[in-house]
Amino acid sequence: MSFHPRMEYAPAKFHKSERTLAEQGGDFKYTPENQAKFDENVTHYPPEQRKSAILFALYLAQGQQGYLTAAAMQHVAQQIGCTAAEVEDVVTYYTMFYRTPVGKYVINVCRTLSCALLGAERVTEELSAALGIKPGETDPTGTFTLVEVECLGACDRAPVVMVNDEWHERLAPEQSAKLIADIRTKGAAAFTGCHLNKEAQQGAGARGTGDRGKGDRT
Amino acid sequence: MDTVTLTIDGRPITVQKGKTVLQAALEAGISVPYYCYHPGISIDGSCRVCVVKIEKMPKLQTSCSTTCTDGMVVMTRDPEVVEARAGVFEFLLVNHPLDCPVCDKGGECPLQDFSYTFGPAESRMDFPRRVFDGEGVKADVDFGPTLMLNRNRCILCTRCVRFMKEIDADAQINIVDRGYGSEIATFQEQGVHTLISGNLMDVCPVGAITTRDYRFKSRPWDNPGVVDTICTLCSKGCNTSAWLKAKPEWARGSRLIRMTPRFNPDVNNYWMCDIGRFDYHWVEGETRLRRPMMRRGTALEPAAWHDVEPRLRDRIQEVVTADPTAVRFLVSAHASNEELFVVKQLVEGLLGADGIKAVSMTWTRSEKPQPAGTKFKVPATDAPNVNGARDLGYDVGQGNDGLPDLTALRTAVEGGRVKAVYVIDPGPQGSIGDVSWLIEARRNGTLPLLIVQGVVTTPLTDAADFVLPGAAYVEKDALYTNDQGRVQAASSAIAPPGEALEDWQILVNVARALGLTLPYTSSSDVRRALAAAMPGGPYADADKIGFAQPLPASSWLQASNPSERWKWDFFFQDLPPVKGHSVQTEGSAQALFIPLKPVG
Repeated sequence: MSFHPRMEYAPAKFHKSERTLAEQGGDFKYTPENQAKFDENVTHYPPEQRKSAILFALYLAQGQQGYLTAAAMQHVAQQIGCTAAEVEDVVTYYTMFYRTPVGKYVINVCRTLSCALLGAERVTEELSAALGIKPGETDPTGTFTLVEVECLGACDRAPVVMVNDEWHERLAPEQSAKLIADIRTKGAAAFTGCHLNKEAQQGAGARGTGDRGKGDRT
Repeated sequence: MDTVTLTIDGRPITVQKGKTVLQAALEAGISVPYYCYHPGISIDGSCRVCVVKIEKMPKLQTSCSTTCTDGMVVMTRDPEVVEARAGVFEFLLVNHPLDCPVCDKGGECPLQDFSYTFGPAESRMDFPRRVFDGEGVKADVDFGPTLMLNRNRCILCTRCVRFMKEIDADAQINIVDRGYGSEIATFQEQGVHTLISGNLMDVCPVGAITTRDYRFKSRPWDNPGVVDTICTLCSKGCNTSAWLKAKPEWARGSRLIRMTPRFNPDVNNYWMCDIGRFDYHWVEGETRLRRPMMRRGTALEPAAWHDVEPRLRDRIQEVVTADPTAVRFLVSAHASNEELFVVKQLVEGLLGADGIKAVSMTWTRSEKPQPAGTKFKVPATDAPNVNGARDLGYDVGQGNDGLPDLTALRTAVEGGRVKAVYVIDPGPQGSIGDVSWLIEARRNGTLPLLIVQGVVTTPLTDAADFVLPGAAYVEKDALYTNDQGRVQAASSAIAPPGEALEDWQILVNVARALGLTLPYTSSSDVRRALAAAMPGGPYADADKIGFAQPLPASSWLQASNPSERWKWDFFFQDLPPVKGHSVQTEGSAQALFIPLKPVG
């Protein structure tokens, strides 16, 4: 007897889920460098909490491949010792893990309160017009992906966009097209960056309500 | 035992230290709704419906995650609680489709029951419901080989997620996406593949997870009979309930409609495996033996009991007179203690004091593929009563830890030294193990006489000279001794089909035909003799063990979901569990219900 006795309904008769799945992708394995990085990072956590390294492990996989395939999730699951379902749980929870290929520059426009009040919606429209794509899409050349996200944590410098890992603060809607042009020519140098990081680099203890000494900490 | 005393709704209640407020309230019979809480799995606190007011705490607290402390003053019927709870229910029903009339859970659904009791009269939400995989029946999607998932009905209590993580130790189910888009899913929609998947239907407090086996087959109010019994498909002996569907006599199809687990903290906790849950169809299947059969020439033909018995007697006596050692018995460990006891008396009467040496016990073993850390381990031994056979003096070798050793019997049969084999096999097909050698011996004439007392048509019955139809485990009151040595009662839920008889009765009839007097007229007579024969041990009270009679399920529907049954077995509830009856407005000093009014 099979462990699951014959069921009256055959699977073929059922409706299939409409959930968007990550593509399976080819075999995925960390490169030796990434494997070394992962093995080092895992030691930061107690052995019984190896799962805590999941975000780092996923970033490594995403950095290696550009986005996460099912094969990559399975590899991460195997590396940190949990089930693939638990990895998928984390991957789908966070907006910064991509399950489809993204462009070279991923433009995340904050749409939460402060940014929204200062015109984030218009920023999105302008960016969308300049790039010729809708939020959530990647342009045909594979250079830009436009995404709307929730709070990026720079409300005092709204509206803010994050391009890959870099901030660009106080982006007035009318400057949006120029930002795109600048990225095309100058690359990452086009971003204003995060003022907190800059102040920290300049050693200036920040003043004012918005900054309240945070510069000292970084 | 450390205890704490707290006050709930003005009643002083003493409970064991460490219990939560929700547990204390339930034990005291105070009805508090809950979804994410399940006594068998860990506490989550995600559904929020169990909110109560606790004095000196700044906000309402979820009672499922608040531990009782001395002097705590808890109110479950305070107007503030009533309103907050109704608000939570309103939110739970924002996206829940109101398809109760076609939902498999309808009638035994905690969401239905608690919403009627504690929820607001109507919803203020008039926008379209969130839909995941389509409306209506299209929303039922594949969720593994045994289950179906309807995400529209899901209230994200995460009981299934925690069940898989903690009990099965293989977290195959998770919540994907976040916030409003959260849904229960398996990796890449692979579905749930586990030996204990059926329990997910039980833990699900709504109709989101249903089993393919029970889908659209019956409704709770169509199942008027429920019998507390045990499962006998392995040596664990899970306590179960057999549900019977009401049918007119002429209706086709089975009456046995599903098996659900019954709480027993010492044996199976709240769970049972898929084998016991889904593998009952053979009981009322097409292959069941319904009439005695006798070989006339080459053909096996149906015959009446009163024709079979004299012929059987003649053939057996012929062999016994010639050589008493040429008669052998092959008994499946699916035989109950009553049957084994009668077999023992039969062989001793027929073959002398050490006649029991002529009996070989048989069973099968299969290691079940389960995760290493599982909390519900299904034993390898696929027979319920190896320990019972051992206790009654049969040779079982290593018992539940090993396989039966049939080489001696096989050698004797193949060597032609055995002239008659009487097989007693009340288990499902294949449970007797490999008997191809026995069939072969009968076919080539090495074995002149093969008698099979069984329940299903198998190659063995096809080869037999006499086929005696017996009763399956849900068709007789019988005792089985599980792998812990517990003697448990399997109750008769349905009658044996056709002319089939209970196995002890067949054995007594055969004995009587052979001139032996076994003075039993019922299985309880056998148990009385068994208890008298084995004083002092676990069988001393065999005659006092109670057997469940089919119980009207109406009294069970009060417990709603079968997985909630433990409350009714173990706690007394003071609130009349009548559906649609608002407990909030009666029996309480704070008889105050604040209806939520439509906005604007």
